Amino acid sequence: MIRWSYAINQWKPSFDDFTRRRDHERALRVISISGFTGVELTTGTGRWEPLGNPDQLAANFGSAAGFADFVHDAALEAVSSWFFDPLLGFREDLSGPADPADPAAHDSVVSHATWFAEALAELGGEVLVVRPTASAWQRPELDDAVIDTIAACWNDVGRAIAPLGIRLALHFDFLSALRSHDGLERLLAATDPALVGFSVDTGEFAAAGLDPVAFIEAHPDRVAHVQLKNAAAVDDDDEYLRRNAEHHVKKGGGEKPVPRWFLELGVAAGIVDAEAVVRALVSHGYDGWVTVESDLSPHPPTSAMLNGWYLQHVLQPITAAS
Amino acid sequence: MTWKRWSYMDHWITGTPQGPRQPTFNRNHTERYLRQLETLGFTGFDTFGFTLPIYASLYGSVPAFERALQDHGFVGLTGVFAAYPYATDFAAPHRRETHDRIFADFERTAAAVDGLAVENVIVMPTNTYFQVEPVTDETIKITAELWNRVGAMLAPRGLNLTCHFEFWGAIRTEDELALFFEHTDPELVGFFCDTAQHTIAGVDPLALFRRYRDRCRGFHFKDTQRVDDFDAYRTAPDAELMATGVPRWFYEMGTPEGLVDFPALMREILDSGFDGWLTVEHDKADLGGGNFAEATAVAKWYIDNVLDSVRGGAA
Repeated sequence: MIRWSYAINQWKPSFDDFTRRRDHERALRVISISGFTGVELTTGTGRWEPLGNPDQLAANFGSAAGFADFVHDAALEAVSSWFFDPLLGFREDLSGPADPADPAAHDSVVSHATWFAEALAELGGEVLVVRPTASAWQRPELDDAVIDTIAACWNDVGRAIAPLGIRLALHFDFLSALRSHDGLERLLAATDPALVGFSVDTGEFAAAGLDPVAFIEAHPDRVAHVQLKNAAAVDDDDEYLRRNAEHHVKKGGGEKPVPRWFLELGVAAGIVDAEAVVRALVSHGYDGWVTVESDLSPHPPTSAMLNGWYLQHVLQPITAAS
Repeated sequence: MTWKRWSYMDHWITGTPQGPRQPTFNRNHTERYLRQLETLGFTGFDTFGFTLPIYASLYGSVPAFERALQDHGFVGLTGVFAAYPYATDFAAPHRRETHDRIFADFERTAAAVDGLAVENVIVMPTNTYFQVEPVTDETIKITAELWNRVGAMLAPRGLNLTCHFEFWGAIRTEDELALFFEHTDPELVGFFCDTAQHTIAGVDPLALFRRYRDRCRGFHFKDTQRVDDFDAYRTAPDAELMATGVPRWFYEMGTPEGLVDFPALMREILDSGFDGWLTVEHDKADLGGGNFAEATAVAKWYIDNVLDSVRGGAA
């Protein structure tokens, strides 16, 4: 059965915004009334990231269980998932960026992933969604040794968090190093299917020129999580290879330029066929969370409601008919 | 019980490439706006009389706009709001010489909504307090004459005339309200309960509903965080947006600082047998960094998760 959650990442425009409990309460209520039953968190660090990691949840809500109560009070069932980028590091333990391509960093990646997975289990969640490696401009070469090292890291993480009831899902994005040299398929082959799943982010796939439906059809047993969002354009000029593409391409729009890469589901300007994605999931009996998101939305409540409309009127009828 | 008749009063600002605008900026933004209301589960839609021509220009006609509403799950256009907040030589309900012109204006409004789902024609019955004062029994009785006459014209057309009182209007206290209702026909002139406006004026909306339940035709459910205890209602040129020291009077349901007891009112409504529309309204939700989309979602969350749990049987 598909369960629908919504990513809260779009509500935080800056490190010092979206810090107060009232703001979180209102965002959760918007998500709930729009028709979603779960919320996806994004990892973060420091006092102004109250939802960013287990320490901050404890500081703000007493414990992960306290935050779970807060989520339930907003009429949501669970925190579906947590997005974790090990390359960002944490102020809580002064750990720096931990690169899965660096064997020396594996212990850090595993311990932090476990930290999140333990809390996620308390929050009713099921999936730890992770950024598997750096951006393409940071790692233009992707030889077999690097792939094997990255795969070993995530196999270790999958093994560590499985006993907690948490699945691991590697999240491909359109700036990823995995976009070059057939990296996505090679990492897929190098990881243990029993331990490592994948998150199909439909907007990121589309922006990279990949077909998310084809991926689901090719690897249905590896799909452990879905992030469903629309995309406005394809990066068909290989701008993802630009230095600091996060700023110049994703946020700056690149040379085209693209004012906003990701859009609400079903809008005319979008290039993702969300109906086809859900049909593919249904046809393969996908059982898990689909997280709808709208990264870098100019207006998060409106995006949530427009996505909620599409969920209620287009996508749920597909799942109900199955 | 779950109340089925929730409508939305047409206040909204949306982001456009040309900056923040009303959704009627263009049809695409109007459709996005209606889609958001549909997502939340509203089935009624109230708007201003002065907005009808804009909707007609966007959709071809007012009936075509109503069909668009129905495509979004609404039963149709359910209420039209009319107001003459500023006293002029042509629109001053407390001056008989302006009544013919106001009456004619309502004839045009009635014609514009003929054949639509509209149930209520909601009116601000007076001008601003500072333009009418001294408010006397005579100004109230003359005002009552006008609305009896307009109500008599609307009733055969299937439209309820219902009066919506402002904290800054020239009928605002319990005694003024009582005198007005004493001199209007209960069959022709209804009471419309704006929970925030009455609360600001220092009048309990729940007590008013109990007293005028038989002529109550609808509600604006909105909250406020303070009572006007410093005669702000007399502020010229405007008390609603320009009162000194109060940048924002109105808030959505569910804010912890709110003064209106909505569950108690809901209980009273359920016990009363009232079967009209309950309307969510957000005047100026964008003040102080707020926004209409979030305020409306949060208010509907409050309806579904708090008010829907209220049961009748109040002591």
